[in-house]
Amino acid sequence: MFSRAARPVVQRAAAVSARPAPSNNYATLREIEGRLKSIRNIEKITKTMKIVASTKMNQAQRNMVQARVYGATNNKVYEEAETKPEEKGKTLFIVSSSDKGLCGGVHSSLSKAVRAKLETNPEADLCILGEKCKAQLGRSHPKNVVMSFSGVGKDVPSFAMAQSIAHEIMSLEKQYENVEVVYNHFNSPVAYEASAIDAFSEESIKASANFAAFEVDDEQLPDLREFALANSIYWGLAEGYACEIAARRNAMDNASKNAGEMINKFQILFNRTRQAVITGELVEIITGAAASAE
Amino acid sequence: MVAAWKAAGLSYNKYLAVAARVVRRSLKDEPRLKAERRGQFELKFAKWENGKQQESKPLSTL
Repeated sequence: MFSRAARPVVQRAAAVSARPAPSNNYATLREIEGRLKSIRNIEKITKTMKIVASTKMNQAQRNMVQARVYGATNNKVYEEAETKPEEKGKTLFIVSSSDKGLCGGVHSSLSKAVRAKLETNPEADLCILGEKCKAQLGRSHPKNVVMSFSGVGKDVPSFAMAQSIAHEIMSLEKQYENVEVVYNHFNSPVAYEASAIDAFSEESIKASANFAAFEVDDEQLPDLREFALANSIYWGLAEGYACEIAARRNAMDNASKNAGEMINKFQILFNRTRQAVITGELVEIITGAAASAE
Repeated sequence: MVAAWKAAGLSYNKYLAVAARVVRRSLKDEPRLKAERRGQFELKFAKWENGKQQESKPLSTL
């Protein structure tokens, strides 16, 4: 009984060990060669993208430094006036992302920040600049989106672009008591974090403590607000663009490095397999020759 | 007193954009080409209603 039951197992084990040990992962030479080629091509692409991002980097960073000064000057007015956002009322989040991906977690960190803000303020509306965040937030919070722009982030953002975005936002029918520009703050070429700039409404500007010192006529307030909104959007766009380029450079650098490692590994595997094949053939030939000589 | 651009129904941003364009166009050739590139952009925008994106429209220079 026992011996008969055990036999099939023994037979199967013998069959497995009898088969010649497959050289790594059953891969044939041609398969490895194909993989190697495609990895090489990918490495070429990522390297080129890295170089492109590096050259754009300087320009983007310069532009961002300028935009930062610009935005800070704009904010100085409200700092001095001690303007505070309204306690209640409708809020609009302007999400400053861009159209292109392949730049690490830039867009998803922005989406995450916006989602966290929507948790505390579920009634808020969204205006999304750029395709990437539109796709992410449009899936999770489609009801909150009122407007989206695409074509952002092809080049260094210009003030003219920020202006026309601000213009479109101001011509929405709804009135917003608070407007916040959510963007990625550029800390260093390797670090960024999602932050927000307030763009105040007329009421909150008017209600601020020291605003009377500026002696601005009431009828000019809407203009001031529009201009401030354009400034904030410009700041957010410029900073987001610099972050994106920096992140893309890093991401592509890592990708090229990984590709290089993979190429090395596959090259070794390829050489070994080739050697094994040659050895196998030699053994066959020699055995054949020895057999026929006898 | 109402400014002329306001009476014409322009928003402040639009007024600024028009003014900027005029300044760019009146520059000498060399700086003008450089400056005009700053004024160009291609945007598309779309309004959303009830969680659906409406038709997107091109948004060119103001």
